[in-house]
Amino acid sequence: MSGPADGRGGGDRLPGLESRLFDIPEDKFIEVVRLLERVRDHPDVRQTFTAIRPRLVQVRPNRRPTLKRVLCMPFEDVLESFNGVDVPVGRIERRVIDPVWRLVTECGDRALIDQLDRQVQETAPGNLNALRNIGRRLWPMAAQAIQGAIRGVAGGAGEPDTGRQALWRVLQGDEEMRRQLQDVAAFLEIGLTVESLKDALAPKPLAVLDDLHVDAIEQAVQAVARQSAGLVYYLLLVAASRMANPADLLTVLNDLDFGKARREQPAIFAQLSGLVVTNLEERSARLEGKGCGTGHSAGQGEAAVAIAPEEAIAIAERLVASIDTTSAAMDVLADPAYRERLDAVKATVRTMVAGTVLDTASAGILTAVPAPAGNGCTAPVDEDAQAAAEDHARALRRCEGLAGALGLHEPLKDTLVSMEKGLMARAHALLADYPKAAGEPDDAETAEMNLFYALRLLELVAGPAKADRLRTAIMAATGEFAEE
Amino acid sequence: MLKGAIEYAPSTFEERGAAVAFTTPLLSQTRVRRGERSKLEVLIPSLSQGMGIYVVAWKSVPDMVSMTMHDRYLHDLIVREESCSPYEIRRATLKAARRGLAGPKAAQAARRALDEDDEQGTLTHYLLILSILKAVGLESPEMLKAGIDTDEGQRLTRQLMTRAAESLRMDATLLYARLADIAAVTAPVGLAHSPRPGRLTRGLNDLKDFRDGMTGWARDVPGDAAPVAEFCAEVAQHTIGIGEKVLGDFHRRIEAIGPLMRDWDDAFIRVRTQAARMAWLLDGWSHITGAWEVAQAEDRQQQAATVNDLFRILPLLPRLESSRDFVEDSKQVKMAHRRSVRMLEDWRTGQMDIDAIRRIEAVKARAP
Repeated sequence: MSGPADGRGGGDRLPGLESRLFDIPEDKFIEVVRLLERVRDHPDVRQTFTAIRPRLVQVRPNRRPTLKRVLCMPFEDVLESFNGVDVPVGRIERRVIDPVWRLVTECGDRALIDQLDRQVQETAPGNLNALRNIGRRLWPMAAQAIQGAIRGVAGGAGEPDTGRQALWRVLQGDEEMRRQLQDVAAFLEIGLTVESLKDALAPKPLAVLDDLHVDAIEQAVQAVARQSAGLVYYLLLVAASRMANPADLLTVLNDLDFGKARREQPAIFAQLSGLVVTNLEERSARLEGKGCGTGHSAGQGEAAVAIAPEEAIAIAERLVASIDTTSAAMDVLADPAYRERLDAVKATVRTMVAGTVLDTASAGILTAVPAPAGNGCTAPVDEDAQAAAEDHARALRRCEGLAGALGLHEPLKDTLVSMEKGLMARAHALLADYPKAAGEPDDAETAEMNLFYALRLLELVAGPAKADRLRTAIMAATGEFAEE
Repeated sequence: MLKGAIEYAPSTFEERGAAVAFTTPLLSQTRVRRGERSKLEVLIPSLSQGMGIYVVAWKSVPDMVSMTMHDRYLHDLIVREESCSPYEIRRATLKAARRGLAGPKAAQAARRALDEDDEQGTLTHYLLILSILKAVGLESPEMLKAGIDTDEGQRLTRQLMTRAAESLRMDATLLYARLADIAAVTAPVGLAHSPRPGRLTRGLNDLKDFRDGMTGWARDVPGDAAPVAEFCAEVAQHTIGIGEKVLGDFHRRIEAIGPLMRDWDDAFIRVRTQAARMAWLLDGWSHITGAWEVAQAEDRQQQAATVNDLFRILPLLPRLESSRDFVEDSKQVKMAHRRSVRMLEDWRTGQMDIDAIRRIEAVKARAP
């Protein structure tokens, strides 16, 4: 039996190790990854790598280089992420990597592959220049091998029908896979230019596109255009995927000098604009897939993986910024269909925010304030619940910045008022119960802590001016700062 | 109320004031001191991104600035303190954070810090007893074997300390009282041979990491904030230089515990002064080193904003404590700094900047 599909359950492989790898300090994690890499071909270890990928993405240890990894360098920015809602523009699915590798090794120049493989094994992790030098010879050969197989002609030293057979085995009628293989071949063709552009557009994600970045993109576009005008589009996909808001690229695109691809510029703009919109739709579809786009109707199973309120707001902020930029940039196309599609994306974001942040506010915020026990005992302090409630309250306040764009002014106002009233009522119930605890120092401290935590939530939701009235009441009840 | 912006070049630490870990962004790390007629006043730097310092009467602060609940509570606590040295301000700050008003993580960190203070006090006390016994040639393996927290260990300790007092020609009660005084003064700094460095020694080590971090960042990230980072590293380095000298001197005096006990009146004052100087030197730095650690998880743009934020609250040494006039030097850096400063949004709009408060609270949860 294989382990659970979520990758964190552990199953019967390397029991307990995966979950522990999420908790150990970063330096230890890197050490363990190094050790595991020595036996990475073992199926259990491969599964372990899949399970710990979220942390690998976060920590980014310098992994042991392999030729397969070098092959992926030109399109690594457009590879789909392992989780989350953000999808790179023009993404390549990770399931494509193995078939690409098989095609290259079966149809490519075997002698060259063996030679480069030996070089990779001698290269230290993190030696990017050495890996690029290897890529310089690998990528054109690999691109040719893939294109050859797609055209039904054997590439390199293979038999005449090797390519067709290999491709048939790889594709098995999967047209989406065929399209992505073509894209991969295009990225490989411009591998070296992509790599130098990556240096200019670093660190990823770029929050702002400044003049130096724009110059670097323009020069790279002109270099690729000299190679083939059709490849410029792929270079721009890499540029877009390195930006926090890929739609920002659209705003500068029409001002760039495309050099030899000048004639294709309007078509490339339209193609990229369409892709940005599709990408936004895809990201919003993922929101629905995560069970947070349907508000109260999210199923039980889905609720377990639903996005946290603060994460939801961060996603919504990015999407709304992208929608606005795309919308402004695409005015030149004057295509009402795009406007409708963008409005639909916005509606999905609105539903997601309403479902994840507003509708759940009562359960997320109010329940963190304990009700008085009633039997004279002090309600215990739950700091985890308090931390989660504070995050939710902050998300609610950040909603104010999105309310205009998403048409959520009224629902947000209603939620804030309802939270304020609810918190005030719960805090006053605790206050009324306080004298029962005041005699016992430990109980008094616990009761006061609960009051201060309620005060803090009220401050986050309603602001300091309103919270200050409660603070005065708490201080009067505890007598802490009473004049002697 | 507001006296207007003044050129800020304090002569002494007391005049510079002690940094207060407020969570209201505008007030974060502002300094409090006893002004005319011992009235508390707060020094607010670069109000509205201008130059200079505003001196505000302590009691007027809540009327001027929309403060967080944490800061209102802390404000009330500080006004009740007799003195406003870094020690008193820190105790008040930990008390406010322990109440949960800066969030659960800051509350947990404050509880841990207070527990560590207690443990460090006990450890220092124990190590000082061993030093005294060693100084008078009364080392006892039996006592060490029994442990000081057992009845037998305590009986043996009392016995040996009585003999030590005789050897030092003083009453045992007086020896215990002096021991308690030295332990109280020493615990925050820590003994040279202590298995766990004291809080201030750790602070000095953190400052070295900060200096290295700033130097590296200025080299790796050229831009408007790079000269600001270089200046931060220079101020840190200068403070480290003085701190290491003070620390070495302090440890030498404490190690000579026999002469310290005998020549008590003068020697203890000197030791206490050195410990206080160490606390003043590092005052305000724990927030800065903690903020830089927090910023390591952020992108370079955020890090640049943090560098500029830190410049605004950098603990420049008072004139009498340093041969170099950092106040004057900072004016050159300010020209670059003013181009890339983060807006103090809550001051302009009267609304709380929740993200800015959260950043400050994250530092508090790390370096209470």
